[in-house]
Amino acid sequence: MDDLQNKTFVVTRFDPDRDAAPRTQSYEIPCRSDWKVLDALNHIKDEIDATLSHRWSCRMAVCGSCGMNVNGEPKLTCKAALAGYGDVVEVAPLANFPIVRDLVVDMEGFMEKFQAVKPWIIEAKARAVEEGPHRQSPEQLEAFRQFSMCINCMLCYAACPVVAREPHFLGPAAIALGHRYNMDSRDEGARERNAIFRGEGTVFSCSYANECTEVCPKNVDPAAAVNQAKLNAVIDWATSLVLPRRGEE
Amino acid sequence: MGLSHPDAMRPPRPAPTRAAPPTLPDGFWTRPRMRRYLLFDATGIVYLLVGLVTLRVAWALAAGPEAWQGLQASFRHPLYLAFHALTLASVLFVGVRFFGLFPKAQPARLGPLKPPPEPAIQAMLYVAWGVVTVALLVVLGGVWP
Repeated sequence: MDDLQNKTFVVTRFDPDRDAAPRTQSYEIPCRSDWKVLDALNHIKDEIDATLSHRWSCRMAVCGSCGMNVNGEPKLTCKAALAGYGDVVEVAPLANFPIVRDLVVDMEGFMEKFQAVKPWIIEAKARAVEEGPHRQSPEQLEAFRQFSMCINCMLCYAACPVVAREPHFLGPAAIALGHRYNMDSRDEGARERNAIFRGEGTVFSCSYANECTEVCPKNVDPAAAVNQAKLNAVIDWATSLVLPRRGEE
Repeated sequence: MGLSHPDAMRPPRPAPTRAAPPTLPDGFWTRPRMRRYLLFDATGIVYLLVGLVTLRVAWALAAGPEAWQGLQASFRHPLYLAFHALTLASVLFVGVRFFGLFPKAQPARLGPLKPPPEPAIQAMLYVAWGVVTVALLVVLGGVWP
């Protein structure tokens, strides 16, 4: 094949049973011009070093499993074309996450933050079956559709300078998800979520670096969600001062 | 590798195997976007100094005409002129950054009203900035009233 080009991959390795700290290992492999970074990692795993650990699944930027830092930038490796990189490509686990092994990070902290924003539709009174389905106009859908496109790839957490220094910060994706439900016309839980958003380490910890939006592979724009959530949380707080019994039966 | 906060994204329960602490990419502060963000953060130091200078202005106003004239004379010192130039650059930098990010932070609806398109919001911000700047120059320049 005439379109092969040798590239060197400097890959972070960490074996909790052997390594005191993460180290790097280099692999020089022939790469096809149409390969993504994930293709190269799979080639290393299949042909050179079966001990390399990395996550991946769908290969089409939908599952959000293959997020890693490529040359220092959080990327979905199935979407990161090798043609866009030089002869040396550094692949590291997502920044800001504890490293379980090689390129695999611990996601439990992320899952905990996700649950904290109550990412489900909250109804004051359960809707009876005979009432039929909730109906939504295209305009009502448009209010939150963008924020519902998140694939939980965690790239925004790897890019966020606030996540790096404030362990309690809920982080971009979780806040965007909470905001998504607050904007949903079927939901009645905005006051509960806004109370969470006004707590320590939530929307007001965000310094609007906009890094989350820069790296988001699905154009969710978490920075917009977080900063809209700030305004909504303040309006909700001010309204509750004027109308403390609002929303109560 | 640089280190993030050791508890960044810490799991609620200890993992079954030992995990390495979270890291940041080497030289993350040298990346162009991060450099701009750190520069934005650093302007906070300039605003702190502006606050101290403002306190000095207030003190001179209270202390009488001689103190006020002394203050004005000191403002002609090259170091003060450089500081004021730095302040102007900081304000312009933060203003342009803020105007760029402000439109998308607006709520999707305000009651029945939809916000105007982002370029229109940005244009309104720049027009407002221009109007306020001209008004201040007119007043401070003694043209009016």
